[in-house]
Amino acid sequence: MRRDFKRHLDSLGGLYEFSEAVMAERKLPDGVRFPVHLAMEELFVNMVHYNPTVTTDIEVTVTVGDTVTVSLVDNGGVEFDVTTKREVDIDAPLEERKPGGLGVHLVQNLVDTLEYEYQDGRGEVIFTKGSGT
Amino acid sequence: MFEIEYGSSGEVICRGRLDAAQCERAEGFLSGLEGPSTLDFNELEYISSAGLGILLKTQKRLAGIGAGLKIINVNNHIHDVFRYSGFHAIFDIHAKE
Repeated sequence: MRRDFKRHLDSLGGLYEFSEAVMAERKLPDGVRFPVHLAMEELFVNMVHYNPTVTTDIEVTVTVGDTVTVSLVDNGGVEFDVTTKREVDIDAPLEERKPGGLGVHLVQNLVDTLEYEYQDGRGEVIFTKGSGT
Repeated sequence: MFEIEYGSSGEVICRGRLDAAQCERAEGFLSGLEGPSTLDFNELEYISSAGLGILLKTQKRLAGIGAGLKIINVNNHIHDVFRYSGFHAIFDIHAKE
């Protein structure tokens, strides 16, 4: 199922309701729904934050089969490869920690597969998470 | 939906979903803490990296005055997020029983 969302943090509520409805209909367990919601938010927020002047909607598709497959398409945004490993020192002491930078790290740890394609201004992120069924 | 308020014992009760759209409200409340504080996550269902950033910012500010956050009643999913973020080493975290 696909839905387009305005490129704004105010869309997060609708994004949650959309994906929750798709996964709840298939009675997926919380252990699947939570990381899917989190990965969707992190990826969506990245597309919003890194493209403040872009006005196109972000296309979101959620498909539930043996796995949950989520696609987010960003038309007109800058290239941002979320599959690239980021240096995040999770063992650093408090005084060396800085807010930010954890989003992609969490996505990479919580989903099963993560792909990114960028061509002619069109970026697409696809991730999967086992449906637990 | 996200709500944050003081409980009857002075703890800070967080409810609902702390996503990036709700961080301003959370930060506005937590910036008013001026000493050791307990956050009760019993009714908090979800947190994303934006919420983690607010917690980290608050912890760093409180550490500057010799205080810190204790986070109690953390559900399994948020507990996993804390673990992947290395928060157990820098916060006093207690899982939901």
